[in-house]
Amino acid sequence: MIDVERLDHAYDGAATLRDVSFRLGAGEKAVLLGCNGCGKSTLLKILAGLVHPLSGGYRYDGRTVDAASLRDASFRRRFRAEVGLLFQRSDAMLFNPTVRDEIAFGPRQHGLDDAEARVVRWATALGVAELLDRAPWTLSAGQKQMVCLASLLVLEPRLLLLDEPTAALDPRSTGWLVDFLQDLDQTLLVTTHNLSLAPELGPRCLVLGEDHALLHDGGADGLAGNLDLLRRANLVHGHRHRHGDREHRHDHTHDWD
Amino acid sequence: MHVPDGFLGPQTYLPAYGVAAAAWTFGLRRLRARLDAATLPRLAVVTATAFVLMMITVPLPGGTTVHVAGIGMLAVLFGVWNAFLSLSLVFLLQALMFGDGGVTALPVNALAMGLVGSLAAVGAHRLLRPVNRDAALFAAGWAGTVASATLMAGVLGLQPLLSRAPDGSPLFFPFGWKTTLPAVVLPHLAVGVADGVLALLAGRCLAPRPATAAPPPGPEAP
Amino acid sequence: MRDRALLLLYLGAIVAATFVHDPARLAAALAAVLLASGRRAPRVLARASRAAAPFAAAVSLGWLAASWWEQRPAGAALLRLNLRVLLMTSLTFALAARLDLQRALGFSRTLRFALVLTVSQVLTFRRLHADFRLALLSRSPRRVSTAASLRHGAAAGAWFLRRAEHDAAEIAQALDARGFFLDRR
Repeated sequence: MIDVERLDHAYDGAATLRDVSFRLGAGEKAVLLGCNGCGKSTLLKILAGLVHPLSGGYRYDGRTVDAASLRDASFRRRFRAEVGLLFQRSDAMLFNPTVRDEIAFGPRQHGLDDAEARVVRWATALGVAELLDRAPWTLSAGQKQMVCLASLLVLEPRLLLLDEPTAALDPRSTGWLVDFLQDLDQTLLVTTHNLSLAPELGPRCLVLGEDHALLHDGGADGLAGNLDLLRRANLVHGHRHRHGDREHRHDHTHDWD
Repeated sequence: MHVPDGFLGPQTYLPAYGVAAAAWTFGLRRLRARLDAATLPRLAVVTATAFVLMMITVPLPGGTTVHVAGIGMLAVLFGVWNAFLSLSLVFLLQALMFGDGGVTALPVNALAMGLVGSLAAVGAHRLLRPVNRDAALFAAGWAGTVASATLMAGVLGLQPLLSRAPDGSPLFFPFGWKTTLPAVVLPHLAVGVADGVLALLAGRCLAPRPATAAPPPGPEAP
Repeated sequence: MRDRALLLLYLGAIVAATFVHDPARLAAALAAVLLASGRRAPRVLARASRAAAPFAAAVSLGWLAASWWEQRPAGAALLRLNLRVLLMTSLTFALAARLDLQRALGFSRTLRFALVLTVSQVLTFRRLHADFRLALLSRSPRRVSTAASLRHGAAAGAWFLRRAEHDAAEIAQALDARGFFLDRR
């Protein structure tokens, strides 16, 4: 479904992605793991056709996605309906007077005639049904996140790109979201810098290194044991530990966020 | 510099709305002529910036603190027309949502601060930029504030000349130019210094330009 | 519809208030506005007085002093001025409580989106600005020096200007991703 080949990208001369290649089949669920600033968000924006790479190619469903192909109105319409991106900062996505309008925006924009029914269905599924008449900017960070997710799912996209979806969530909501995502039929690519969450989010794991290149593409399960890889990706660290009067040092993660 | 409702007569605010409406139309046309994906978000974000810049307080020698206007910074960075439209939107929100400043003062504020202030700031900046970068930034901050305060003092001082009751007592703002010019402009010479220093320091914080997101691909302007 | 009518009614009342010069009529109009505000009347009056006070008090005191110096009566003019200011400001606060500005400007899709985007961005920036201030406060055991305060103001200003550039680009991408521009070409 997604075919990414030798992507390079840079902002103002500083590399953000280096020679990244991978494929994602329809219905596959994968996690994109990497430390802050390694290029995760940029990669998602490229996959959503919002930012274009300096070199390399990106094909969606066999069709090249670039500025030229997105100028084709019918492809653009189809691509925007089928690919949903949840921004890391949910504020960026909210611009309607009420939650109801916010969720209905996509269906209306795409001319679907069952917008109202869809809004109610997805607002209920994401637990924001009682917020429908509130203004989005009055909500908590976690609620905003759920409204944004509902605004994407309401279009029933084929590919869902989620940028750090658990960052604003408390532990209970995080657990709920993990289960919810597993039950979706969509092709899913989720970014996180939370190592212990990675295997929960998908069976396959892509790791972006600090050098903005893809370090690992494979199963998520064995990853926790590969300390050398994790250290290179800046996903584990070491510091002194005190247990009573004993002190020692080992590599580990801190990921309760 | 927030004038509440009731101090400016209809002889002032009605024509001011006329002039401002013409300027808003022109500004929006300009904006629309170059309308791309970022136009609307940019207007929103610059407006929020203008709003928050006005919340920044700076101490003056003597222990008082003043709110800066931030016109210089805004105009130099985003251009005269963006600054004008954004500041107008700020005054609208302040007047109708936060009850700060009146709707009759709105067009005068928009023209004085948004248009004349921005023009003075950008003019001063362009004039001095070839000589010295820091001096140009300081001058932009200072000129933006002082020019708009001077115009405001002029408009306020005009009120007793425009309308009086039959007994000769003033109907709106009561003082003439002899009072308003020194009372409004003199303190703003000092506020202007604060605004100038702020623009200068902020300009230094901003240079060299940090890595920012590339412009979105969006639909191209026609 | 209701909101647009309310906005027009308010604008009409504001203009009318600048054509009435009889203090008794101004007082009657003020009473009418407060009556119409019902239970909110005390709050409307308090907020209106607080908003207009700094400017109105400075002008009134100045005028009082000047009149005393020139030995002419100041009462009628002062009463008229302050009643008018209070009337107009009360009108605004009485309106603000009832008006949904987004709905009042709903005749233009672009204007409504611009307004929502702006208001939410303003609220976000306001919260961030409060954080900036509190952070400075928490880090300064004594009164902040003028120089530090200036540097802090400048850093905050620069931060907001830079953030503005970034946010504008990001919001534009989010609008694009959600199909905002599909019907614009």
